[in-house]
Amino acid sequence: MIQAIWEQVLNLTLFVVLLRVTVPILLSALGGMISMVGGVVNIGLEGIMLLSAFSSIAVGAATGSWLLGVVAGVIISILVSMLMGFFSIKLKVDIIIVGFAVNILGSGLTIFLMNKIYGLTGNYSPEQLNRIPSIHIPFIEQIPIIGKLLSGHNLMVWVSIIAVFLCLVLLYRTPHGIHLRAVGESPEAAASLGISVDRMQFIALAWSGLFAGLAGAYLSMGMTSMFVKDMTAGTGFIALAVVMLGGSNPVGILIGSLIFGLGSTITTIVQTIPGNQIPSQFVQMIPYVVTILALIILAIRKKKKQLELTSQSTTQS
Amino acid sequence: MNTRKTLTLELTGIIGAALVAILLGIIIIYIVSEEPLTAIQSLLLGPISSAFNIGTVLNKAVPLIFTGLALAIVFQAGVFSMGAEGQLYMGAFVGALAALYIPGLPVWVHLPIIFLAAICAGAIFGAIPGFLKAYLNTDEIVTTLMLNFIAILSTSYFVNNIFKDPASGGYARMQYIASDLRLGRIVEGFTAHYGIIIALATVIVIYLLLYKTKFGYELRMVGQNSRFAHYGGISTKKIIILSVVISGGLAALAGIIEILGVHGTFKDYFSINLGFDGIIIALLARNHPFGVAVAALFYAYLQVGAQLMQGASDVPRELAVIIQVILVLLVSSQAIFTFLRQKYLLRQGR
Repeated sequence: MIQAIWEQVLNLTLFVVLLRVTVPILLSALGGMISMVGGVVNIGLEGIMLLSAFSSIAVGAATGSWLLGVVAGVIISILVSMLMGFFSIKLKVDIIIVGFAVNILGSGLTIFLMNKIYGLTGNYSPEQLNRIPSIHIPFIEQIPIIGKLLSGHNLMVWVSIIAVFLCLVLLYRTPHGIHLRAVGESPEAAASLGISVDRMQFIALAWSGLFAGLAGAYLSMGMTSMFVKDMTAGTGFIALAVVMLGGSNPVGILIGSLIFGLGSTITTIVQTIPGNQIPSQFVQMIPYVVTILALIILAIRKKKKQLELTSQSTTQS
Repeated sequence: MNTRKTLTLELTGIIGAALVAILLGIIIIYIVSEEPLTAIQSLLLGPISSAFNIGTVLNKAVPLIFTGLALAIVFQAGVFSMGAEGQLYMGAFVGALAALYIPGLPVWVHLPIIFLAAICAGAIFGAIPGFLKAYLNTDEIVTTLMLNFIAILSTSYFVNNIFKDPASGGYARMQYIASDLRLGRIVEGFTAHYGIIIALATVIVIYLLLYKTKFGYELRMVGQNSRFAHYGGISTKKIIILSVVISGGLAALAGIIEILGVHGTFKDYFSINLGFDGIIIALLARNHPFGVAVAALFYAYLQVGAQLMQGASDVPRELAVIIQVILVLLVSSQAIFTFLRQKYLLRQGR
């Protein structure tokens, strides 16, 4: 069993699968991170991704263009996140409730539309679909190991890696990023400096819609070529966990996503090994257990730090 | 503004929101359907069109009342738990084991043991995020969501392997529980089982607990202003943990009653988001036990109506989900309710 996994590590299958499954987690987690930085907890990522996955494949199949499909998915996602902003910022609905509502809406509305438009109840796989292309790099493709490491990945793999750097620059090297962080850390202080808190939070939500939209489009048109009801299967919640662990650092988000990606990669590999003894349910459980343990460790460290700080301040005074 | 006036105003707002949501649902039906009248008729009148359907509404409301109460309690304590789904599975699982593997007891001893086993399982499982929240201040939304997956997957493992009835095929379940342990029908020939009576009794118990005891007062204080409650000498940690423990027990009751009343045994993935539906119901009910009962009945009515509509017309039953989402957002909008209150005060002032 260990040997079988090791073989897949050696022939790089594990690496390829890891990239495939990490992309949706990474993209949606980046979305969750940006809204969190702006002080908005977006737990609606799951629903946004489903809406994007459905609308992108619907438009992609109807027009024959994967690009139009992705654009449609992203536009819908940004609109939904704006709507979330309207309800939470203007109508003062708790943002957790709005996110929760978007999750059930995403699940219900996609099933409703799939039934109404295509007359299908379980899944929709169009006969003709131009998927998001994979990038084959000439020459490098031929080199034994490097070829497999760098070439043949889906375009969205590269987009998600670029997105990590984009977020780094956006948050830490631009005035826009500083405003976002200011609003997230101290809304009152930001407002007193003339930054519109409402406007920045709308923008934060739009960013999270953009990234969750890309993740959703990848689910239906890159990773697979179909829409399956509730196909996100908890990816949005895992992304939320990654945000809790990675904080507001895009590199931390990347590492967290890779850890969760690795968990589900091993799940996939273990399940396909013949004569496997470990029940799949327990392997599937690993990411969730790891999240809870990691949250506990983080919380203990934070508590220790606070205790040190208070003891320091008491000795000083 | 006295409390009675506030209550009337809130109720008017909530009922108004329900009407708006249903109206939007009807508009959607008109847009998508070719036989809108049939669809609307079965959605709105179908659930009361026969005794069978009324019984189904009552049965569907039972687990929703329990999960709604479970969440109302934690929400009132200011804990945003999303863990009812997992607690429900744990309760149903352990309760079903108690029903199947404790032999030779008379029913009137066995049945309370089953309920107790289920409640304990849900309460203990619910206590985990409670302790983490109370002592380490970990975010309960994430921990409960993660624990849901853990509960569902581990019970799924056991029902697919160790406790699987060999007679069940791809859809794994345990052996059927003896029929004298199951919750029978209240009236012969009418579909409703005894669960609804237990549920309504529990509503009253929780109402008394929340509004007529010192514990309930402390719990509501912690939820409204935990710092104030703390300075007032209330142990907030104790309240938070007790609230999630009671909540876990209630969610577990939803699970075991669904098993004993409807399914007859523990089935893999039997609860289709009953725990999450409880969140909606608690929100619609403004976390009040009596409101939970009404909201659960309304929700069950809507679900049965949507199911009948899907059978009778070309409108998919997921329309109910859209109506629910609109309703939740409207009812939870503080801006709308503040506006209503101001309007009312202005009119009083004139």
